[in-house]
Amino acid sequence: MRNLMALTWRLLRGGGRRGLLGSSLTVAAVAVSTTLLIFAVAVNFAFAGRAGREAWRSPVPAGGTARAIEAVQADLVRGRLVTVVHVAVLVPGIAPPPGLTRLPGPGEVAMSPALAAIANLPELVGRFPRTVAGTVGDAGLIHPGELVAVVGHAPADPVMSGRGTAGHRPGAPATRVAGFEGATTPDAGAYSALAAVASVFMVVPLLVFGGAAARLTVARRDRRLASLRLVGATPGQVVVMTVAEAVITAFGGAVLGLVLYAAASPPLTRVEIAGGPWFVADLWPGVLPLAAVLLAVPLLVGVSAVAGLRRIVVSPLGVAKRETPPAMRFVRVTGLLVALALVPTLGFGARVGVVVAVLGLAFLSLNLVGPWVVALVGRVTVRAARGPASLLAGRRLVDDPRSAWRTVSGVALTGFVAGFVGLLAPSSSLSAQDDVVASWLLRDIRTGTLIVLVVSFLVAIVSAGITAASSVLDRRQTYALLRLAGTPLEVLDRARRLETLVPLTVMGGGSILTGAICATPFAKVGVSSTGAITLLVCVVAGFAGVVGAGALSRPLLRSVATDPAPRPD
Amino acid sequence: MSSHNVLEGRGLKKSFGPTVALAGVDLTIHRGEAVAIMGPSGSGKSTLLHCLAGIMKPDSGEVHLLGQRVDTLGERGRSVLRRTRFGFVFQFGQLLPELPADENVALPLMLGDHSRARAVREARSWFGPLGLAGMEGRRPGELSGGQAQRVAIARALVTRPAVVFADEPTGALDQATGHDTMRLLVEATKHNDASLVVVTHDPHVAGWCDRVVEVRDGLMLTGRPHAASPSPHTASAHAVSPHAVSPHAEAGGR
Ligand SMILES: Nc1ncnc2c1ncn2[C@@H]1O[C@H](COP(=O)(O)OP(=O)(O)O)[C@@H](O)[C@H]1O
Ligand SMILES: [Mg+2]
Repeated sequence: MRNLMALTWRLLRGGGRRGLLGSSLTVAAVAVSTTLLIFAVAVNFAFAGRAGREAWRSPVPAGGTARAIEAVQADLVRGRLVTVVHVAVLVPGIAPPPGLTRLPGPGEVAMSPALAAIANLPELVGRFPRTVAGTVGDAGLIHPGELVAVVGHAPADPVMSGRGTAGHRPGAPATRVAGFEGATTPDAGAYSALAAVASVFMVVPLLVFGGAAARLTVARRDRRLASLRLVGATPGQVVVMTVAEAVITAFGGAVLGLVLYAAASPPLTRVEIAGGPWFVADLWPGVLPLAAVLLAVPLLVGVSAVAGLRRIVVSPLGVAKRETPPAMRFVRVTGLLVALALVPTLGFGARVGVVVAVLGLAFLSLNLVGPWVVALVGRVTVRAARGPASLLAGRRLVDDPRSAWRTVSGVALTGFVAGFVGLLAPSSSLSAQDDVVASWLLRDIRTGTLIVLVVSFLVAIVSAGITAASSVLDRRQTYALLRLAGTPLEVLDRARRLETLVPLTVMGGGSILTGAICATPFAKVGVSSTGAITLLVCVVAGFAGVVGAGALSRPLLRSVATDPAPRPD
Repeated sequence: MSSHNVLEGRGLKKSFGPTVALAGVDLTIHRGEAVAIMGPSGSGKSTLLHCLAGIMKPDSGEVHLLGQRVDTLGERGRSVLRRTRFGFVFQFGQLLPELPADENVALPLMLGDHSRARAVREARSWFGPLGLAGMEGRRPGELSGGQAQRVAIARALVTRPAVVFADEPTGALDQATGHDTMRLLVEATKHNDASLVVVTHDPHVAGWCDRVVEVRDGLMLTGRPHAASPSPHTASAHAVSPHAVSPHAEAGGR
């Protein structure tokens, strides 16, 4: 075992400059996957955090003795939501809500820092008692800029009797409570559910892509491992070596991914959802979830590596030959049909967990069908091809549809939702108070969808770059020899570009367009021009990024192809 | 320069840093002639072939193709030259794994001005004569080493080149297959009026060529003609060109 590990380490380090490049491609792929995966996980914790910090403003009627009365009132000041919580203590000694060190007594007020900063505005002067008895700290605030006041009253004050506080959203009539634990508000629950759905949208393509990163290593080692098998290494030894190599590389990538996430999180906190940005801590899901991600990623990569190895292990000659890939089995389509059949059965009443599970299932099945569609696109491309570049691109798609699907899957999956939501406009008037939260929700769904779409495009961009580079590396000898024989590199370059662009346009572009078309009946409410423009910018930037990532490997192509004396390694 | 000189290298020198790979070589290839280049490993055979074929620029010396100087052309010009006037057969790994055999052969034609249909038709017409009938739709991974080399030969010849260069084309094959393949290469080039420059270690193979050139330490030792050994094409040359068997030959010929 020690020897085996030593040999693995030597294989890893002794791969030469190009071997190193191959490994760093895997590291990069895993790093980006990890960053985005942490983000997908963190999003759930972030919304759960908000829901928890907001719960005290959703009073729960006391079962036994009431110890305080709580009423919540919300209104708009210059387009910003001000939440005022009225409290009257019935039984002294009740623990204050989170964020407060003590409850303000009658005639006192505690304000959030953001509210305190604007308390001198004419609209606010006179609204609150003069005596400021403290601050509503971060632990009691949804977001750093939230405007919250806690006003103390005597139990007999009219505002505490239930009259005088209308049922504004988000608001609550005067309620006799036993404590300030509260409950998750329906709005917070809706946001958490949407966040869970968004995570599924992000995680599925990520898993596909991250798993592919492992195969990337395996593919590179194919020849060498097959020769180890020929020399007499047992299947077990080969598996251990490859998996060890993949896991070591993946762990490096995962740690790098964590660093990338740390760098990316400050700007992410500025994304406004539900009327405000985020606390830095919101985006850090805690040590355990982070550790779980950091362990799960190398594990997943290791498992994918084993799956990728199966063929070599079975037959040492299996990899030397390159067979026509087996046709897609109908089973895949049935899987999708079953999942799709389940979707309509989900009413509004369905539990979030069930929705997420079915959605995930539908996604995974779509993932199984995706490569088949890519192969179909490839066959059409081959049939229509007139020049060598498109012929080569089409053949490549038929030959390895999974690799192209990996690149486009995210965009193809989220494109529909993005196209659908991107065009819908939130109702433009923010004057009626009851509308605020509803209009936020639509806007936030759009923001969230855009974020998911951006993530999908990021996956596509990184995947396109890595696929392009690894396909150059894998075919370096052939490319070099073709160049020697006078084949212009531009043809190979164009083929590589088409190989990504054709499926991205057909499947990604197609799904965005389909979503947009499906949204038109609803667009009577109003087509949002900013939404449409943002969507368009996002799509154009995404396509440009994918093309650019592919172009990055052009110098690599040039360098492998201008090797004057190409030799097999 | 006599009119049947196809390719002529004069005073070719090439160094890689301190290593002198070619120390001044003169070599003339005549029309339809098969020349074997032999010599120990590292003696400069590949470098000579690369200089003649316009893959490398020699440090000094000249290369003429049909009386025209070609070593002074730019990279693009030499690329076009290689694609249109020369054919190449390398040891292995020159076929694109995604393309079926016929499209691999058709590739150089498609890079030219042939339509896809015509290029593939023309490419397929080479399969029968080269003993590859039925292999058109197979991909390189599904071919044996010898078959793959024959596909490579078809690809080298499909553009009707003036000279075919082959650098140890059977080095990765077993001896029997290697010999079969090499015979086919010599016969096919001869039959198509192409000259052949082949680097080989195998004296048998050299025996089928018209002339053997020995390279040692970047210098040419001998250029002995092979009067004694008959070229193999006399026996069966009619079988290795689409002209002989294919009705499409006229459409594809230049
Ligand atoms: N690209 C290169 N860089 C450095 N040295 C080279 C290169 N190509 C060939 N050489 C050297 O030039 C000499 C001749 O090489 P080559 O022509 O490949 O020999 P042969 O084909 O006869 O085995 C050798 O010493 C080789 O090491
Ligand atoms: Mg050599």
